[in-house]
Amino acid sequence: MLAQIAYPEAIEKALAEIESLLSRENKLSLDNIYPISRRSLALLVLQKDPTLWERLEQNDKLLAEIEAAILIASEQLGEPVTAAIASSRQQLAWQMEQQVLREPSEAKTPLSETIHKLTVNPITGFPILVFILYFGVYKFVGEFGAGTLVDTIETFFEENINPVVNQIVATIIPWQPLQDLIANDYGIITLGIRYATAIVLPVVATYFLMFSFLEDSGYLPRLSLMLDRLFKSIGLSGRAVIPMVLGLGCDTMATLVTRTLETKRERLISTFLLALAVPCAAQWGVIVGLLAQKPAALLFWAGFITVVFIVVGYLTAQLLPGKKAGFYMEIPPLRLPKFKNILIKTYVRMKWYFFEIIPLFIWASVLIWFGRLTGLFEQIIGLLEPITLALGLPEQVAPIFLYGFFRRDYGAAGLFDLQQQLALSGNQLVVAAIVLTLFLPCIAQVQIMIKEQGLKTTLAMIAFIIPFAFFMGYLVNFSLTILGVSF
Amino acid sequence: MQCNKCPMKLKCSDSPRQKKRGLLGFFRKKKETTTAESVKMTQIALVGMPNVGKSVLFNGLTGTYVTVSNYPGTTVEVSRGQTSIGELPVAVVDTPGMYSLLPITEEEKVARDLLLFQSFDVVIHVVDAKNLGRMLPLTFQLIEAGLPSILAINMMDEAQQLGIEINPEYLERELGIPVVTMAAAANFGVNELKARVAEYVSSNCLSRSY
Amino acid sequence: MMALSSLKTGKIDTVACLKTSDDAMIRKLMAMGVLPGVSITLEQRFPSYIVKVGRTRAAVDRETAKSIYVDGAAN
Ligand SMILES: Nc1nc2c(ncn2[C@@H]2O[C@H](COP(=O)(O)OP(=O)(O)O)[C@@H](O)[C@H]2O)c(=O)[nH]1
Ligand SMILES: [Mg+2]
Repeated sequence: MLAQIAYPEAIEKALAEIESLLSRENKLSLDNIYPISRRSLALLVLQKDPTLWERLEQNDKLLAEIEAAILIASEQLGEPVTAAIASSRQQLAWQMEQQVLREPSEAKTPLSETIHKLTVNPITGFPILVFILYFGVYKFVGEFGAGTLVDTIETFFEENINPVVNQIVATIIPWQPLQDLIANDYGIITLGIRYATAIVLPVVATYFLMFSFLEDSGYLPRLSLMLDRLFKSIGLSGRAVIPMVLGLGCDTMATLVTRTLETKRERLISTFLLALAVPCAAQWGVIVGLLAQKPAALLFWAGFITVVFIVVGYLTAQLLPGKKAGFYMEIPPLRLPKFKNILIKTYVRMKWYFFEIIPLFIWASVLIWFGRLTGLFEQIIGLLEPITLALGLPEQVAPIFLYGFFRRDYGAAGLFDLQQQLALSGNQLVVAAIVLTLFLPCIAQVQIMIKEQGLKTTLAMIAFIIPFAFFMGYLVNFSLTILGVSF
Repeated sequence: MQCNKCPMKLKCSDSPRQKKRGLLGFFRKKKETTTAESVKMTQIALVGMPNVGKSVLFNGLTGTYVTVSNYPGTTVEVSRGQTSIGELPVAVVDTPGMYSLLPITEEEKVARDLLLFQSFDVVIHVVDAKNLGRMLPLTFQLIEAGLPSILAINMMDEAQQLGIEINPEYLERELGIPVVTMAAAANFGVNELKARVAEYVSSNCLSRSY
Repeated sequence: MMALSSLKTGKIDTVACLKTSDDAMIRKLMAMGVLPGVSITLEQRFPSYIVKVGRTRAAVDRETAKSIYVDGAAN
C-alpha cells in the first residue's frame, strides 16, 4: 500500500525543514486554509508554486529560510528539485505499471496506425490535406452548403415568405416606417431572419458538421504538426492551427478558443489575424457562391487573402517583441468519429452561434432602420461613397461596407443581394470581396476581442484594419486596371 | 475483500489528511461548516491529464453537455453539473486537463486551484489505460495530498484492442484507493464507478462526523 | 550523448537529459513522458519531429527536439 512516496534524502530533508517552518509560523500556516495535506503543501512550496509563494511573500524571514532549504537541496541533488521530484514519482509509476499491466510482445498494427502514418508523412500527408480541404471545405461547405442549400432556402424565402410578410405588414400596420422595420428591403423578418436562416444557417451548419468530424477523428492535431513550420514564419506555432481552422467557421468562437495558446504573444497575433484575414464561413461561403462561375477570380481572391495572411503575420511577428512560441503537442490516436457525437457537437455549436448571433442580426436591422429613418446612415454612406468609387465600385456597394461592420457575413450577404440586382463585373466582385474579407470583423467578434485583449489593443487593431482593407482594395483595382486584367 | 486493508478504512485511520485533522481539527471544522452551508450536496471533481475522457464521463454522469474532442486542450473552463447516485444528490465538476499538482499553464492552474480552494468528497482521477504509467504520478500526488481519490482507468476498449491487460485489484492494493476500469465513451464501467463513489462517500461520511 | 534532432528515424534510443532554460517546456515534456531513462523512437523529422515514448506519440518542433538529448547508443 502506498502511504507516501519516499523522495531522495535531500528532498526529504528540505520537506521536513519546510514543514516545520510552516507550522512554526502558525499565523501563516497554509494548511488551515487548504484542504490538502501538509506534506503536499510543503512539496508545492519546495517547487515554488506561485499561488502559495504569493501568500508567503508577506514574511521575508520565512521566505529566506525556505529559499535556503531549496538551494541546499538542489545543490546536493545536482539538478532542480522539480526534476528530482518528478523522476522519483515517475520511477515508482513505471514500477507499478510493470506489475499491473501486461501487453503482448507482438502487437499487430491497427488500421488507425497505418492511416496515421499516411496523414503525417509529407509525401502523402500534404495531398491528403489538400484533398480534405477540397472535398470537406470547398465541395461540401462551399458548393453544397453555400450553393445548393442556400439557393433552395433563399428561393423559398423570396417566393413564399417575403411576399406574404410584406402583404400582412402592409395591411395591419398603417405607418410606412414601422412597416419597413419588419418587412420590405431591410426589415427584421425579410432581411434579418432571411439572412440568418437562408444564407448563414446552411453555410455555418455544413462547416460545423465538417469541423466536428475532423475534431472527433483526431485529424486536427495532425494538421497542427503538418503546418507548424509554416505557422512559425508568422510568429505562431502549430497549436494556433486549430483556432484558425475554427475561425473559418466562426471568428468569434475562434477568438475565444485562442485562450488555449500558450503565450500572450501568440494569442495577440492570432486574434489579430483572425480579425483581419480569416473569413468566417458565412462570409467566404457567400463569396465562393458569388465567384463560383469565375474560377480564376475565386482563385485570385483566395490567393490574395492567403498572401495577406502570411505577409501581415510575418511582419507582425517581426515587429512584436517576445519569445517565439515552442511547439510540443501530444498526438492522440485517430478514432472513428461517432455519428451521434458529431451531430451533438454541431448542434451545440449552432445553438451557441444562434444565441449570439440572431439578436445581433435583429439589432442590426433595427439600427439600420433607425439610421435610415434619421438620415444618419445616409451621412456615413455619403462619406464612404467616394472611397467606394475610388475602388472602381458602384456607389450602391457603400452601404454594404457599413452593414459589414455589424456582421461580416451581413455584408457578404448584402453583396449577394446586390449581385442579383446589379450584375457587378468580375473585377468589381473581386475587389468588393477582398475589402469585405479584410474589413472589420463583426460586432460580436469586436466584443470578444475587447474582453480577451482589452479595449486599447482592440482599437489599435481596428485602426489598422479599416484603412488597410480599403487600401488593399484600391491597390487590387488599380493593378488589375493597369495590367488590363478582367475576370 | 480484504477489509482490514480496504481504502475506506484507511481514510478513517491513517491518511495524512486525517492526521492533520486531528491536529488542527478546530480550525478545519470551522472552515468546513462555512462552505458546507452553501453546498450541501456531495461534491465530486473529475481531474486528469488532457484528452483522457473526463468530459465524456462528465456528460455520461450529468447529462449536461460539454465539448468533447479528440485533441488536448479543448476544455478551458470548469463545468458544473448534477446527478444522483442512488438516493444521493451529487454535484460534479469537470476540469481542464492537469499534468501535476504544480500547474504550468493557465488552464492547469484553474483545475489545481479548484482542488486547493474547494473541498471535495471524492476526486476522480481519470487516466488513459494505455498510458497508465505516465499518468500514475498524478494519482500519487492526489493520495499524497490526502484527497479522497478514486482512480478511474478509462479507454479500456482501446487498451484491449492493443492486447493490453490490467489488474485493477492489484493496483487497488498497491495504492490503497478504489480503482475501477471503464470505457466512458462506450458507457462501460460507469455504473461500477458510481457504485464505488457511493460506497466511498458513505464510509467517509461516518468518519466526517466529528 | 547527442541531440534527438540528429537521431536517425526509426531508431530506438534512451533519453539522457533535457537541456533547456524553458522550465514550462521541460515540465510539459516530462508530462508527455519524455524524461531521462525512457526509450524514445524518432518516427519522422519533417514537417515536424514525431516521437514515440511508450504508447504516447508527440510532435515537437526542431528547437524542442534539439533540447532533448539521447544516449546515442543506437548509432
Ligand atoms: N475509445 C475510447 N475513446 C474515448 C473514451 N473516453 C473518451 N474517449 C475519446 O477521447 C477523446 C477525449 O475525450 P474528452 O472527454 O474530451 O477528454 P478530456 O480532455 O479528458 O475531457 C474523445 O475523442 C473521446 O471520444 C473511451 O472510453 N474509449
Ligand atoms: Mg474535457
